[in-house]
Amino acid sequence: MSILHARQLSAGYGPVTVLHDIELVVEEGEIVVILGANGAGKTTTMRAVSGTIPRQGSVELNGHDITKLSPDAIVRQGVAQVPQGRGTFPELSVHDNLRAGAITRHDGSAAVAADMERWYGQFPRLAERKDQRAGSLSGGEQQMLAIARALMSRPKLLLCDEPSLGLAPLITQELFAVIERLNKEEGLSVLLVEQNANLAMHMASRVYLLETGRIVAEGSAEELSADDTIRKAYLGF
Amino acid sequence: MKTIATIKSGGTASWAIRLVTAAVVVYLMFWIPTSASNGMIDSCITALTLMAAAMSLNLLLGYTGLISIGHSAFFGIGAYTTGILVSRYGWSPFQTLAVAFVIAFVVGALVSLPALRIKGVYLALVTLALGLVFPQLVKAQKLEWLTGGARGLDKTGFRFTKDNPTYEIFGWNPWGSLRGENVKPFHYWIAMIIVIGVYLVCRGVVKSRAGRSMIAIRDNETAAAVMGVNLAITKALVFGLSAALCALPGSLSAIRTGNVTPDSTNITVQGAITFLIVMVVGGAGSLWGPIIGAGLFVFITELTGDWSDPDQIPGIIRPLFSWSNTPPGSGIFAILLIVLMFVAPFGIVGMWRRLVARFVTVTPRPAGTGTIESVVSAPAEA
Repeated sequence: MSILHARQLSAGYGPVTVLHDIELVVEEGEIVVILGANGAGKTTTMRAVSGTIPRQGSVELNGHDITKLSPDAIVRQGVAQVPQGRGTFPELSVHDNLRAGAITRHDGSAAVAADMERWYGQFPRLAERKDQRAGSLSGGEQQMLAIARALMSRPKLLLCDEPSLGLAPLITQELFAVIERLNKEEGLSVLLVEQNANLAMHMASRVYLLETGRIVAEGSAEELSADDTIRKAYLGF
Repeated sequence: MKTIATIKSGGTASWAIRLVTAAVVVYLMFWIPTSASNGMIDSCITALTLMAAAMSLNLLLGYTGLISIGHSAFFGIGAYTTGILVSRYGWSPFQTLAVAFVIAFVVGALVSLPALRIKGVYLALVTLALGLVFPQLVKAQKLEWLTGGARGLDKTGFRFTKDNPTYEIFGWNPWGSLRGENVKPFHYWIAMIIVIGVYLVCRGVVKSRAGRSMIAIRDNETAAAVMGVNLAITKALVFGLSAALCALPGSLSAIRTGNVTPDSTNITVQGAITFLIVMVVGGAGSLWGPIIGAGLFVFITELTGDWSDPDQIPGIIRPLFSWSNTPPGSGIFAILLIVLMFVAPFGIVGMWRRLVARFVTVTPRPAGTGTIESVVSAPAEA
């Protein structure tokens, strides 16, 4: 059973439909990457999955229908999202941002504290800046904070919306390395939206290619880059 | 800018500062009712009333980012609940506080339902409507049997008679006879207890999981939702709690003045705007902001209270204000608000923090697994 299965998913904003009947599968332990140009509907796909915009069709998590659930209920089901543009809480300290990520948890403060120590271990830069306002962090640090915060809810599936946005290539690589490590070591399933095709395809188990709200190609990274027309038209290398 | 002092967070110096501040506050708290003039005690009660109201609004606007220009309605609910129960049904004023709290909570939570769908300016308008409707509602003829119509209610406070000249706490009487002017310190202490209570509730909420949810909603609503914050329930509870806390100073005003009228300032929309301005000037989103803002507001209005007579204005600034036929207190405060928005958008508390950050370096405690040797100075402005 796949961890995420969206069928005939359509979504949009007000009268405008952006996403048309897409089918999307994430298997347990996979890193699935959605590629596409500006306006292809990548972020809309993420929002439709996390329930932050109205959607049609069905979304199943581990076989349970989550289409009708509110965003916070979906988080409780084990889906965490790193929103586009980081979305950290600038006025809260780094520490409190992480605690905010554990809002859905009720397994006691000791377990939450243990998890925080763990993510501080994974992201030492955050540990150094524990008491600083999140708004005073650099872009890369904020993106790390956003990921660590999402992980605080102990998700089964992590949604990452363009983590490379506005980051230096070196920091992006570092970030992707962290995501890959979490995937390998913790078995975390990841659905990742990217414009940076080159970088993202390296770690992808499977890739969806999105164009004007429709999936135009799907397959492993090797399959897609082997296809010359797709490579030239969409991947740009 | 040169650092004058370095303070270690949690170290001796920081504790010393806290202790001295606490000592000064406690000393003033006891000095006012025992040694100050009756007029000054009266002003202090007015300030305490405003503090509680502004703190309640701070929870909503300062911490959750939901605006309300109708909090005077909740103040009014408090005043009328106490007024009606005391004057018509003979309750003891203290018992009515709990009822006022509950009623305002329910009304506040109900009002928040549109707040779940609308934002910003639209929410401001909906709450403004509430603030405008409330005085009209209590004046309505059909409700006159209950609210006393346009005349309002009287005998809504404690009634100290020859047979019952004081209020005893389990047989203990710290006040002496409360007939006549002696009653002011008594009202002062009621006000003080309400303010301390409201402060402790706000502090408890803000520093808890709920508080983090609230700040998360304020800072980034979408991100808060995908962190698992239930937007609807959080907003409704905050609205309810804020309304309930605002009802307490309302009840206090009924107890203190002994009457409730629909046209008294804090019950009309003007009250709601005063709460708002006081909170913003003091510093929205900080626990002490509303307290400082309210104190300053009352200080200015009292200071300038008799300035409608030009001879009372100090010589140097007389030309500035002598044209005014009414005390210029609110006007001065309004000008202060405009100036503050330029020099200190986060109010007096925000300005204070910025100054402190400039001259004093606070080293935080070592954090997490990482150890910090170097001094991390507070984020100074660019």
